[in-house]
Amino acid sequence: MTARSIGADAAPYGRAVVPSVWSRLWSANGPGYLFLLPWFIGFFGLTVGPIVTSFYLSFTNFDLLTPAEWVGFDNYARMFTADPKFAQSMRVTLLFVVFSVPLKLAFALSIALLLNRGMRGLPIYRAIFYLPSLLGASVAIAVLWRQLFAGDGVVNDFLAIFGIQGPSWISNPRTSLWTLIALAVWQFGSPMIIFLAGLRQIPVDLYEAASLDGASKWRIFWKVTLPLLTPVVFFNAIIQTIEGFKSFTPAFIISGGTGNPVNSTLFYTLYLYQEAFAFFRMGYASALAWVLLAIVAIFTGVSFLTSRYWVHYDD
Amino acid sequence: MSFSLDRRQFLLGSTALVAAGAVSPAFAQDKRLRLTWWGGQARADRTNAVSDLYAKAHPGVAFDTEFNAFNDYWPKLGTQVAGGNAPDVLQMDYRYLVEYANRGAIAALDDYVGKGLKLDDFDQDQQDGGKVDGKLYAISLGANSVSIMVNQKAFADAGVAEPNRDWSYDDYKANAAAFNAKSNGVRLMADGSGNEPALENWLRQRGKALYKDGKIGWDADDLTAWFKMWVDLRAAQVCVSPEDQALDASAAIDTTMITIGKAATTYANSNQLIAFQAVNKSPLTMVNFPRAGAGTGGGHYRKPSQFWSVNPKSALIEDAVSYVSFFVNDIEAGLALGVERGIPCSAAVRAALSPTLSAPDQLSLNFVSNLGDLLGKLPPVPPAHAGEVSQQLNTKAQEVAFGSTTPEDAGPAFAKEAADILARAS
Repeated sequence: MTARSIGADAAPYGRAVVPSVWSRLWSANGPGYLFLLPWFIGFFGLTVGPIVTSFYLSFTNFDLLTPAEWVGFDNYARMFTADPKFAQSMRVTLLFVVFSVPLKLAFALSIALLLNRGMRGLPIYRAIFYLPSLLGASVAIAVLWRQLFAGDGVVNDFLAIFGIQGPSWISNPRTSLWTLIALAVWQFGSPMIIFLAGLRQIPVDLYEAASLDGASKWRIFWKVTLPLLTPVVFFNAIIQTIEGFKSFTPAFIISGGTGNPVNSTLFYTLYLYQEAFAFFRMGYASALAWVLLAIVAIFTGVSFLTSRYWVHYDD
Repeated sequence: MSFSLDRRQFLLGSTALVAAGAVSPAFAQDKRLRLTWWGGQARADRTNAVSDLYAKAHPGVAFDTEFNAFNDYWPKLGTQVAGGNAPDVLQMDYRYLVEYANRGAIAALDDYVGKGLKLDDFDQDQQDGGKVDGKLYAISLGANSVSIMVNQKAFADAGVAEPNRDWSYDDYKANAAAFNAKSNGVRLMADGSGNEPALENWLRQRGKALYKDGKIGWDADDLTAWFKMWVDLRAAQVCVSPEDQALDASAAIDTTMITIGKAATTYANSNQLIAFQAVNKSPLTMVNFPRAGAGTGGGHYRKPSQFWSVNPKSALIEDAVSYVSFFVNDIEAGLALGVERGIPCSAAVRAALSPTLSAPDQLSLNFVSNLGDLLGKLPPVPPAHAGEVSQQLNTKAQEVAFGSTTPEDAGPAFAKEAADILARAS
């Protein structure tokens, strides 16, 4: 059919019969949108609005009380050319993510494998192992961590049994970041639960077939369990990476908001917070926030691009 | 932003914690004045006592109070100001006065003087300390001076004489070996290399200043000498290890070296004796900051220890001013407060208070009154972003202490960083 014949077919119905575009849309979806209105107001007022504002502010100098002053790309330029603290905070955050995420996932997966053997009282163990994640981001745990890893803390008391004189982990710039990584790994509960759910979905007959063929447990794990679990690994890796970049509270509490000793716990978010709320540079802080968004997007994007080579969806 | 949720949750959480620690009971009343300050429990008890007195004299007024450690106080207050949610009456520090005044975050009180705000017998130097560009933005809650807290028992146990007003850094060093021999790992001093008041005091004794005309008042060589002196003190085990010093991350009295038992002395302020004594079992006394050399003086000054300022956007601004006036003038309020915030600035309050003081309070009063040759002029209010310079000093001092840089490099590096911060702020 040609375009012309469509027009010819449509013509007899005329305007009077065909409802206008708006009223047609309304009768189809109107009530739905009406019910969605509260969400739309929240979404545009509380999410989109601030995001757009922060994007604008990232091109300004703004101290909250005097009007914002347009500075173009100065904030972004400063970050990459003249701000050693930006570089340091980036380094600290990348180290944190690179070490905490794989360790946490490995830990979560091993505990999930242990719990997946159909033992009695599974819900109780699951709850116990999940508990640290519930407490994880809290102020109390960060304070507890300070106590554990101080020079005369519990960790060093334990090491002293073996005659090891440990440093003050929390206040030594060489070890302080590692205490935060340990804290993150300890909060392995939510990936563990997801792994556990994933393990439950692997068909039992595959295991039966594998063991009939004489495969060792080790081999079964690498050849059956892990490949079939890769979608869950992928999901957990992305979520935990984003969490890692966002991590704030432990470093804030443990370093008293300074990122010290010697900026060794100056997480990117902590630096952003300092710039915004200690030094009142909202423009620069907004620019930092957008760079963080870009970094997280790049990491996630790369993960998705590489996923086709290692993530197996059972089809 | 995706991470704002965490930060907000944290702020909410910490607010809840603080609220749980706040004391004034909240009943439905006509007027609720919100007060915030930094400080420990001792200060909270005294402040709440004054608030109760005020509420009794002014029926229909109730209080919501929050208090925090110094380092936690400022980000929180900044957030509240930014969110248009600042308290009615807020404690202000000399360091942040200019920043808050210039931003319009605290009210100029000149119009209230004589009308709700009584300053008839208020020390002139303390009034001037609360002025920015000739306008009165803050009411001093007491004069104080920096001071060293001294754990008397530690010195008695070690059999070493307590430091006296003539001790220089060299004297501390000379006594360290004898002290360490019997001190059970306790060191003579905290590590003051990253402590801004310690540096300022030392600079003033050398005829320099921390800030001059809104710029840094020292040069790189001064800082190199300062860092070198501390490398020396550290090597001679006069002061605590860098790891121990770094435990004191939030500059709260509870984590200072003297309170956690790592050092026999620590840098503090004269009005803090009461708060330090409250968390230290051994009896404490006070002495001046060490002299830079034999016989040098002029490092100390009578500083407004802290101020009350009033939120210009407060709906209860008249009540807020009235409360501030009551706080510094009422005799009963003065008796409740003692010298915990410094020596009262009203002559009448001082006269009523003096005979009632306990021994540590007397010590505090006498210390500030008898500085003698140690006393110099009040320096001008520090420039905006002096707080960031102070934080950078701490970081730089840690770099030296942990050996990742040398005093020779750290001096010029910090001079440049400090100048950059000040230049950027304007």
